[in-house]
Amino acid sequence: MDINTDILVVGAGPAGSLAAREAARRGVDVLLIELKSEIGSPKRCAEGVSKSGLLELGIQPDPRWIARKSNGVRLVSPDQTSVWLSEDTIELPESGYVLERKVFDKHMAMDAARAGAKIMVRTQATSLERVDNGVIVTAIHMDEEIKIHAKIVIAADGPSSRVGRWAGLDSNTKTENMESCIQYEMAGVNMVNNNVIQLYFGSCAPGGYAWIFPKGEDIANVGLGVLKTHADRPAYEYLNEFIENCPETKDAQAVEVNVGGDPVGGLVKERCGDNILVVGDAAGFVNPLTGGGINTALESGVYAGIVAAQAIDDGDYSKKNLEEYVKLTDEHIGESYDKYKKAKEYLLSLSDDELNKIAHEFVKVDIDEISPKTLIKVLIKVSPKALLKLGKLF
Amino acid sequence: MIIKDYCLYCGACAGVCQVDAIEVKEVKIVIDEEKCVNCGICVKICPVNALEM
Ligand SMILES: Cc1cc2nc3c(=O)[nH]c(=O)nc-3n(C[C@H](O)[C@H](O)[C@H](O)COP(=O)(O)OP(=O)(O)OC[C@H]3O[C@@H](n4cnc5c(N)ncnc54)[C@H](O)[C@@H]3O)c2cc1C
Ligand code: SF4
Ligand code: SF4
Repeated sequence: MDINTDILVVGAGPAGSLAAREAARRGVDVLLIELKSEIGSPKRCAEGVSKSGLLELGIQPDPRWIARKSNGVRLVSPDQTSVWLSEDTIELPESGYVLERKVFDKHMAMDAARAGAKIMVRTQATSLERVDNGVIVTAIHMDEEIKIHAKIVIAADGPSSRVGRWAGLDSNTKTENMESCIQYEMAGVNMVNNNVIQLYFGSCAPGGYAWIFPKGEDIANVGLGVLKTHADRPAYEYLNEFIENCPETKDAQAVEVNVGGDPVGGLVKERCGDNILVVGDAAGFVNPLTGGGINTALESGVYAGIVAAQAIDDGDYSKKNLEEYVKLTDEHIGESYDKYKKAKEYLLSLSDDELNKIAHEFVKVDIDEISPKTLIKVLIKVSPKALLKLGKLF
Repeated sequence: MIIKDYCLYCGACAGVCQVDAIEVKEVKIVIDEEKCVNCGICVKICPVNALEM
């Protein structure tokens, strides 16, 4: 089978669906293909998302995909000292809702369909070839090989991203930048507070952190990510240890296991070329400090959809004409990444003892006075190297 | 390369393979032994240790 389309979007995660929605809204032909048989499933995500980030993109909250609201974060040091931050006093990234991504992702794809995009599930892109004025992507749909001729392809194929590389872009993720993640969705979790997201730091998750994100009274995503440069065992061994030792999870039962890679090294070198844009995880749109990438996947998808549709209107699919996407994403997303990367480097340089000392000092700060500035002040007091690594940034 | 049955097809290995030798399907991964340069990166990144050289 041969298909012709203006824009082909590969991957129906948050980035791909929003790119398809925005482009289709502008009246161009859009085909969205997804290798899985069910969009959104299995989830590979802890599902924490920023409420305001969704609203900014015109995504109205829907109880069908919100598992729970969260109103703050609990940071836990290796000796179990808790630092509580409330949403009212400090802006927290990836906080506000814990999603049901299996439902959310599907709804985002449905919005793309309503805007006019065609969708094909269980359709896997397997190669890309450049032709005059476009690309031909070969894909396997059920048992059939199809050739899709597109003027522009939007690579939204997530952390395993290959489409950008097929098009000749330098969009590889380096091993030292890929968090190796595993998570259980658990029932019977005894949360100290089931309305906040919880992050555990230190040697329980070398190179990353462990998390407990509430999805119900006693239901939570419990997981962790490790960097291979810091960890000497597979992620699942660390998680099983964490669950056994953490008072909140030791009696909980897993009803689901999820694994995945999270590219935390910042943006890939090239996210735009002739006839191609790369979005979401595939382009490295993940907060290097938190590993959160849902909001930025959605946002980068929107910019790609807008720019690609405009390029179709212009009849010019060259890199030069698509570079507006790079400008938009640098301005709105990428610029903050250097700051987060530095903060992450600093965090990873801390020993368990240092983390404990910092937590003890934070606990003394009056909760109502917490702001990024006061936190940095306290930090510099107990950890002078913070001044060196972070002082100029915040 | 041996791919264990408990692989969960997450694609973390494919993302870091510098020679693009790993193909991820819905419930299967395929490693192109001709492209593979035996660097072992995929073995290290796998969250569940599903690959063995
Ligand atoms: C364990 C874990 C926990 C996380 N927790 C959070 C969190 O709490 N908050 C947060 O904001 N972020 C979190 N993230 C990151 C977040 O999941 C990603 O940033 C987000 O899913 C990226 O969206 P995307 O659309 O770019 O890619 P994805 O959601 O990965 O979607 C890519 C899609 O492309 C499809 N695809 C791939 N290759 C092909 C192909 N060849 N042909 C057709 N389709 C293809 C895939 O099947 C997939 O559906 C977490 C990640 C992990 C691994
Ligand atoms: S990283 Fe491991 S679980 Fe994920 S696809 Fe590769 S081998 Fe399978
Ligand atoms: S050993 Fe290296 S080259 Fe071979 S598949 Fe794994 S990552 Fe790719």
